[in-house]
Formats: sequence, C-alpha cells, structure tokens
Amino acid sequence: MSARDDILGAIRSCRRSAAVRPAAYDPPANGGDAVERFSALATRAAAEVRVLDSEADIPAAVAEVLRARNMPARVHVPDGSTLKGADWTVACEPTPPGPDDAAVTRAPFGIAETGTLAYPSARAEPASWHFRPGLEIAVLKADDILPHMENVLARVKANGMPATLNFVTGPSRTGDIEQTLELGAHGPKALAILVVRA
Amino acid sequence: MTRVGLFVTCLVDLMRPQVGFAAVKLLEAAGCEVHVPNAQTCCGQPAWNAGDDKDTAALARRIVDVFEEFDYVVAPSGSCAGMLRNHYPDVLKDDPAYAERARALAAKSHELISFLVNERGTDHVIARCEATACYHDSCSALREMGVKAEPRTLLATVEGLTLEPLKDAEVCCGFGGLFSVKYPEISERMADDKISDAACTGADTLIGPDLGCLLHLAGRMKRQGKAMRVRHVAEVLADMGEGPALGEGEP
Amino acid sequence: MKQDPLAFREAAHKAMDDPRLKLALGRIKSHFQLGRGFAATHYPDFERLRDRGADIRAHALANLDTLLGTFERSVIARGGHVHWARDAKEAREIVLGILNESGARTVTKGKSMVTEEIALNPFLEANGIVPIETDLGEYIIQLRDEPPSHIIAPAFHLNKEDVADAFRAAHTSLDPARNLDERTTLVLEARQMLREKFEAADAGITGANFLAAQEGAAVIVTNEGNGDLTRLLPRTHIVVTGIEKVVPDLSDVAVLLRLLTRSATGQAITSYVSVMTGPRAAGETDGPEHFHVVLVDNGRTRLMGTDAEDTLRCIRCSACLNHCPIYAAVGGHAYGATYPGPIGAALNPNLLGLAAAHHHPNASTFCGRCAEVCPVKIPLPKIMRYWRAREVAAGLAPASARFGLGLWAFAAKRPALYRFGARMATRLLKRLAGKRGAVKALPLMGGWFAVRDLPAPQGKTFQEMWAEKK
Repeated sequence: MSARDDILGAIRSCRRSAAVRPAAYDPPANGGDAVERFSALATRAAAEVRVLDSEADIPAAVAEVLRARNMPARVHVPDGSTLKGADWTVACEPTPPGPDDAAVTRAPFGIAETGTLAYPSARAEPASWHFRPGLEIAVLKADDILPHMENVLARVKANGMPATLNFVTGPSRTGDIEQTLELGAHGPKALAILVVRA
Repeated sequence: MTRVGLFVTCLVDLMRPQVGFAAVKLLEAAGCEVHVPNAQTCCGQPAWNAGDDKDTAALARRIVDVFEEFDYVVAPSGSCAGMLRNHYPDVLKDDPAYAERARALAAKSHELISFLVNERGTDHVIARCEATACYHDSCSALREMGVKAEPRTLLATVEGLTLEPLKDAEVCCGFGGLFSVKYPEISERMADDKISDAACTGADTLIGPDLGCLLHLAGRMKRQGKAMRVRHVAEVLADMGEGPALGEGEP
Repeated sequence: MKQDPLAFREAAHKAMDDPRLKLALGRIKSHFQLGRGFAATHYPDFERLRDRGADIRAHALANLDTLLGTFERSVIARGGHVHWARDAKEAREIVLGILNESGARTVTKGKSMVTEEIALNPFLEANGIVPIETDLGEYIIQLRDEPPSHIIAPAFHLNKEDVADAFRAAHTSLDPARNLDERTTLVLEARQMLREKFEAADAGITGANFLAAQEGAAVIVTNEGNGDLTRLLPRTHIVVTGIEKVVPDLSDVAVLLRLLTRSATGQAITSYVSVMTGPRAAGETDGPEHFHVVLVDNGRTRLMGTDAEDTLRCIRCSACLNHCPIYAAVGGHAYGATYPGPIGAALNPNLLGLAAAHHHPNASTFCGRCAEVCPVKIPLPKIMRYWRAREVAAGLAPASARFGLGLWAFAAKRPALYRFGARMATRLLKRLAGKRGAVKALPLMGGWFAVRDLPAPQGKTFQEMWAEKK
C-alpha cells in the first residue's frame, strides 16, 4: 500500500458528516467610485498613487516619482513589455532590477476592495520583478480595476491560469521586530501606482 | 402563575446562601412562584470539565428528574445555567430515556439576571447600595449565556450605586473551576491583572454574576490585604448589597 | 532550545518571572487584539464571513479525499509533482530525496509551521544541506537556535535588543561597531544579508496557506515577499503542506483570505498573496523548473471521524493564541511544542500523545474567547474537553484529581448525604475562617491556598436556611 493509498483510505474510512457545498460568497459592495476606493486603500497600504489622464503622461510621472525620491533617472522595464515603446525621459534597462533599483511593470488588473494589484505571470511580466526592486512602479488602467478578488480570478482563469498569479498591496513590510511595522523587508521598499484613466 | 425551579448551585448553597435568597426575592418580585427542590446537588460541571462523562451523566439525569416539572429553571450563575442549557443535551445525547428530556430542560434553563430582564421584562429594581463599583463579566455568563447588557441595565437603577467601566471586563479572571487549583500560578497572574484593572477604576466594590469567580478574586484580594469589596450581582439588585461582602463576615 | 511539553508548569513559572518577556507579550493586546478587533468591526457583517469560512472548511474536510485527488491531478496536468507522506519521517525523507536528486545544497525557506512540526531543518542539516530561513522572524530565531513562540510571529517573544545581539553575532562580515539601535536598520540589514542567499539558493521550500483543488494551486501569503523570492529564483520549489489545507477552488480561497489576514494581524489583505500552479510556463524567465508538493498526514487523518475533527478546519491565523489569557501570561515557548495556545491544545494530544501533551488541554479555564475569535468557528474548548475525557478513559488523569472528583460525584449523587456533608463543611469552614473572615490553608486543595484565601462561608447551607424559613 502506497502512502497515497493509506492516506486516502484513512480519510474514506472516517467519513462522518456530508457537508453541503456553501453557495458562492457575495462580498459586501464596495460602494463609491472604483478608482477612488482603489486609490484610498492602496494609499493606506503605504503605496503612492497618482491618477493620470492618459498613457502619454506615464513617462513624466515616472520621472517625477524617481526625482521625488532622489533616485537615479533609470528604470528597469521587462523585455516584451508594452511599456517599452513609451516616450521615456529616463534610462530604460531590460535586466532584472536590483534591490535598490526601480522597475516599471504593467498591472493587468486592480482590486478596488483592497487597493491591490494583480499580476498573472507571463514572458513579458516576470513574477520576480515585483519582489526584486527597491521601488516598483505599477501602471494600471482605471478600467481594469475590478471590484473583488473573485472578479480578477474569473478573468484570469478565462484567459488561462498562469504559472504564477501575484497579488500586491503596498510595499513589502514586516512587523517581526516588536510588532512594529517597517517597510522594505525583502520585497520593494516602495510602491508607486500610476492609474491611467484613458 | 409561572413556576420557577431555583437551581441554587453548590457554591451558593455552601458558601453564600444570601445569593440564593436574593434570587428568590428578585424572582418573586417578577411574579414567579419559586420552588427549591431539595434533591438538587450539583449540575455536574466539575466532572464534565474534567472529562468524567459518566459521573456527569449520572448527575445530569438527577437534575433532569428534579427540575423538568417547572416552567423554567433559573440559576444565579452563568456557568451552571450554561451547563444545563448548552451542555446537558450533549451529556445525555446517547441516553434514549433522557436525550429528549435533557433538550427540553435545556430550552427552559436560564441565568438569573438575563431571565429577569429578557423573559420577565424586569427593567428596574428597588435597591440601595452606596458604592462605586465595577462589573466583571464572568466568561460563562458572557459567552455561554450571552449575559452582558442585562446586569448593567439593572445595576443602573440601584440607588446610590455608581458603575465604572472596567477595562478588559471580558477577559477571564483565572478561576476556571479546577484550573484555579491545578495551575495556581497562572490563575494568580490572571487574578492580579483583573484586580489591578478593578483598582484602576477607583471602585470600592467588584460585582459579578458567578460566585466561583468572586470567591477566587475575593480570596486573592484577602491574601494581598486589599480592601475592595466583592459582591454577587443578585445580592446588590435584591437590596442585600450593604451588609458584609465576601470574606467580610456573616451578612 | 529543547522543547518539553511536560515541563509546562516550570516553563510557565520561568516565563511569568521574565520582565522582558512580559514586555513583549504586552504587544498581544496593543497590536494583535486591537488589530483584529478593528478589522472585524469594520468589515460589513464579519459574522456572516465567519459562518461562510466555517462552512467552506467543513465542506472541504467532508470531501477531503475527493479534493486531494482533484488537486493531485491538476498539479500533475500542469507539470508539477505530488508526493504523499504518512508521517514526519516520510515527509523529511521525501524532501531530502527531491533535494538530493536536484543536487541542491543551499535551500531558502519561507515560513512553514508544518516544516517545524516535522523537524525538517535539523534533518536537512544532518544531511549536509543548509536551510536558510528567510521570513525575518524565522531568520532571527534560526540565528538564536530557538523554536518559534507564535504561529505567525515567530520572534514575538523578543525585543529589538535581542535581534541586534543576534545580528551582531551572526553578520560577522559587517562592521562590529555599527549602530543597531533602530528597527529600520535591523530590517535593512536582514534585507541585504538575505538577498544574496535568495540569489544563490539551489532550491526553495515553502509551506502553503491554502491549496485549491480545481486549479491545482498552492497559495502563500506574506507581508515581506520572502516566500516569493524563495520560490521564484531557484530551480526547484518544494511546497510542504498538511493534507487538510485543500479547498475546492480559488474563490473559496478568496473568502478564507479575508478571514485569515483580519484574524491574524488585522489587515484586510497582506502585502503579497501568491498563487502558484506549477513550474514556470514556456518562455518564462522566472519560476521554478521543478515544482513539488509534499502532502503531509502526520496524524491528521487520526482526527477524522472523532469529536476533535473540526480542529482540521484551522487556517493557522493565530487569533486563538492572541486572545488566550493563558498564552498572554506565559508566551509560546512554555508550551514546549510547535503549536502553542488553544490550537496547540487541540492538536498536540494527537500529535505528541495524550500523556506528553497533558498540560495543553488542561491549562485552560474554558473562557471561550478562542472559539469566539476563531475565523472558522472551531469549538476549541469543546475539543479540549474531549481530550480531557480521552485522558480519563485512558486512565491518565492524575490520581489526586480523580480521587477528589470521585468523592464529590459520589456525594452529589446522594442528595441526603450531600446535604449532610455540605452542612458539616460550611460549619467547619466558618470556624476555621474565624474572625479573619477567610481560611488561609487547608490540608487539601493546596493549589487554591498557594495563592489565595478562601472567604468564609455564612455557616449554614442555603437548603437548611430555606427549610427553616418554611
């Protein structure tokens, strides 16, 4: 008897109650404007949020974000990203970012309920880029902000489940020393989100 | 007339009969005919909590026999009422002669103060107690029987009594029945936290719904030489809250 | 640090005497309790969410075999491997086997209570593999060679000076005179030191907060991002998980996530929630080439079909610990086991044996606060009572307690005898209490009188006074 057989056999022999599959959970309505709620919650999670009118504003916003943090005028952008073609005013590197670098990535989805970004992994969206840099700058279309995680899951699955699906809310943090929050534990020390309306 | 069987509880019977008389007075004032079966002994909670299911069942059967004739069973204790209401159906679920009767008894078992307020509509008492007091929510009364607002509602109508809010009122005092004897050091620490919180309110009196908690806290305070008075809520509400408190001599 | 659950009383005594530990434990109220309370109050209808969470977990356990089968198929279909381990020994050997086969020598680890439970790290070290904990709390206690004291905050028992000392002793490549007074500095130092380890690791080991059967997904939640760096950079990723973690699909996980983070730290969501379904897809540069899930039983199936089965609903949030007055008094190490607090009291008699874990279900007042805050409504005091009943049935209850209770029950079953005994006892106690109004000592119930007096009774029983009145 394999371990598999033993374990499954043990479970089957002990069956007691036959519980009913609960109905799908209806999360409480977020209320209000999705962009406003997303921005408020992402900000509360210590992300910096800027709302832009169009994609054309991205390069200037990125330059401003870096300047405001006294960071070098250089970002890492993944090869194959649709952002590569933007009118960058800063240097653009294709290599994976180091722990003090800035990286710009496109977030296919946002979640209004919690101010969360959702990143299915792909060739042009390497998952580790959300954890390597010192500053992650995420570009998110306002229309891609969905109400709840359930909505994002449904959309992602419709496109085909990726190898990795990352949900990111604010920068990295830890409370492991005296239960006091510190940012930048292993993942990014800072997160800036550019919400693009058009 | 509503016939109530008073579940005296072994602690009240042994240590503080005044609580039982207070309960009778309050129930009669609420229009109940109070009976005190003398075949009652113990609800079996010490045995149940210790995992002695057999002895618990034996005691539970007796209590069912003795009390099932009444319209209600009322106890001046959240833990004993909780035993009857929440656990008797479990205790006797495998006994075909008693399973249904235990459920029936459970359905009509109540803690005293919540019974008065919720079932009898009592909204005030005629009582006097010149004191500044804080109220400790005994865990069984609070979590097993849902008793929280009712004692405060009635205590607010006691003349001369000022009730101060107690920080962490819902945190366990460290009695826990046999826990107080098996793990005395931890029990002591929990008592001291409760006593310290009570002292911080500036109150001269601590009030609660369960005699076990009160004996434990009063006993600890006595050992420490602390002067705060400890009283059962029924005594205060029945206008018996101005005599000697727990450990102060005979009321 | 050697862990001995039977030394609970001595360990509790030592813990309560430690002012630095008391300082650390004070943060339970100011951080965990406040956080969870705030989050529960501000979520619309948190009780409905708890009900749903309990239903999801109950349903999953009732269909555990089917769900595990579906999970396995889904993982394999996506190119991953699934292994089954009956006990801790098998689990350790499976992990070692995977590591040896891939030639892995350095391994990074995300926080995983299951790997603590099966004592994985010492086993790997004994076999020439270096496991490096990357969760900051786990990293700190690894440096100090001690076990975690809390389910989600492993270093909860420490103050920042302890961390500074540990870093100074371990990070010898850095300037010994550097200032380590600030938490920020300590976190940055850990970030720097561990980044190299992430990059160099041959394999990564994590746990799983949830498994989703339909998608064949494992889900981990962190605030630090260490779990992701652990699993994305090396060639091999091993997920070690209890079998009970599986639910039907990711929409169930979405519900349980809302409960987990609020119940644990009071957060609506952690910084990172990571869903992984297997090795990297074709063309991807990140992600493991080899994805393994080790499903660990280690006694979990033994709980099924018993009154303790609901213990398996646990999503390891730590709310029960955080609201337990005993945990707040003595801290996690006093329990001498991987799982402390109320969930420990539910798990350990099964994991460690009734006799060894005796103190855990017994050192409880049944105050019920744990059950009140459990996000999946595990009836924890009921389960602790179940273990006490099992002890009695196995003849393991301490003789003195059995004798005292037996005497009590004997009398209580005989009303006339009981009334007589009570009348004698109340008179005797009143006499002993004398003018003082309280008894200081008795030849029995030493535990009571060790720390408190017994207030004097009135001197007559209620029953006799009632009879007199009539």
